[in-house]
Amino acid sequence: MQTYDPSAYFTHHQGKGFAVRVRAAIGAVVASGSILLVGWNVGQQSLANTLSSALPARPAPAPSAAAKPSATPSPVPTAMPTTVATPTAAPAPAAPVPAAPAPAAPAAGATDGTFTGSLTNTPYGTVQVSVTIAGGKITDVAALKLTDRGSQSASISRQVAPILKGEVLAAQSANVSNVSGGTYTTEGYLMSLQSALDQAHFTG
Amino acid sequence: MTTAPWHHDRFAAMGTMVSLGVQLADDAWPAALAAAKAAFEELEARFSLYRPESELSHIADGSLTLPAASDELRDAYALAVRWRNETGGAFTPDRPDGVLDLNGVVKALAIEQVGAVIRAAGARNFSVNAGGDILYGGVDAAGEPWTTGITDPLDPDVLLTSVELFGEHRAIATSGFSERGQHIWLHGAGTGSFGLGDFSQVTVMATDIVAADALATAILAASDGRPAAFADLAGPHGAEVLAVTPDGAVYATPGIRSQITADS
Repeated sequence: MQTYDPSAYFTHHQGKGFAVRVRAAIGAVVASGSILLVGWNVGQQSLANTLSSALPARPAPAPSAAAKPSATPSPVPTAMPTTVATPTAAPAPAAPVPAAPAPAAPAAGATDGTFTGSLTNTPYGTVQVSVTIAGGKITDVAALKLTDRGSQSASISRQVAPILKGEVLAAQSANVSNVSGGTYTTEGYLMSLQSALDQAHFTG
Repeated sequence: MTTAPWHHDRFAAMGTMVSLGVQLADDAWPAALAAAKAAFEELEARFSLYRPESELSHIADGSLTLPAASDELRDAYALAVRWRNETGGAFTPDRPDGVLDLNGVVKALAIEQVGAVIRAAGARNFSVNAGGDILYGGVDAAGEPWTTGITDPLDPDVLLTSVELFGEHRAIATSGFSERGQHIWLHGAGTGSFGLGDFSQVTVMATDIVAADALATAILAASDGRPAAFADLAGPHGAEVLAVTPDGAVYATPGIRSQITADS
């Protein structure tokens, strides 16, 4: 049994800094958005609250009336009064705005621009992100600040950030000797894949 | 000294397939393979709940009590209880229906015993893969660090990525909710932000196979709506984790993260 030295464990990559930058591909807005919301939720003090205030869910159909720029992207749907997003770029004039938003419905059209979330306290420190929306879709999510508790917390924050699937390097199957997975025990799959791998590595 | 050849074989055991890859002299291989099969069979005969005559089935039906059970069974039980305590109850041998189920540690014990058998036969380089839970020795046939493909839980025919053994790590285990014969019982199911669980698949790299298996199960079962909580479970054991959410997002501890992303 090893003794647990948190600093040794978590500062593994502190030299890399903590300017984690996650790019969401245009066209994968809904899925990526939900992943990011979940992913940055590093504790009970949900960062998702910060994001949810900055991220209107989906663009509403373009209204026929002349669009008016909105400085407030959408009502804050959750009980986090301290998290208020402010746009750092002027909203595009043509940004869609709901013609008649229902008072009780938080849904609103996405306003183009880069939005900076407020500083949000989490168990790992203070976090702040910015979100860029173009054409009503999330095009970029960047962590501006990941904790202020020194390198250990920074590394934890870096660690807990999700890796979008597109960022995961594909397996170099030619070099893979074994396969591990939750559905591995499916007989046919295991038999064919593992036997193929065994043959590939039967170098004698 | 001549280089020994690699031998590969597969056999069915414990409801799954066991795949061996061993670099060993030709004349030593048949006995090593037989001993490996025997190790699995002996443990399965004692611990299988699918065999009414097994010792553990007698515990389950009440005809045998733990104090009267064999040393082997009580040792396995003690190991399971140890990991229950290490994981705050996330890993547990106690099924919700009250039946004592030691499968969570028995397969790992079998893998460990096969590794010992193979080493005793004189092999240094080997892999023992039982249903995706893998123990490694030395290096692969190319003389490189062992590399394991991790399946994509959303598309099991595709490998999500691959991870290379490093440091003192010798074992990789994966738990998933689609795994057959699972011994995973969610705690606080429905209370987490994902409902069912934070992850649909959890892979753990550790210094031994029992730890890897228990931690993978525990992290999968520990649903608290805080995906990053795996660090709390894996950290004290120096284990590395790669976990996939039902949405397909991937989380990883730094050692694995640096392997699977281009910019880490």
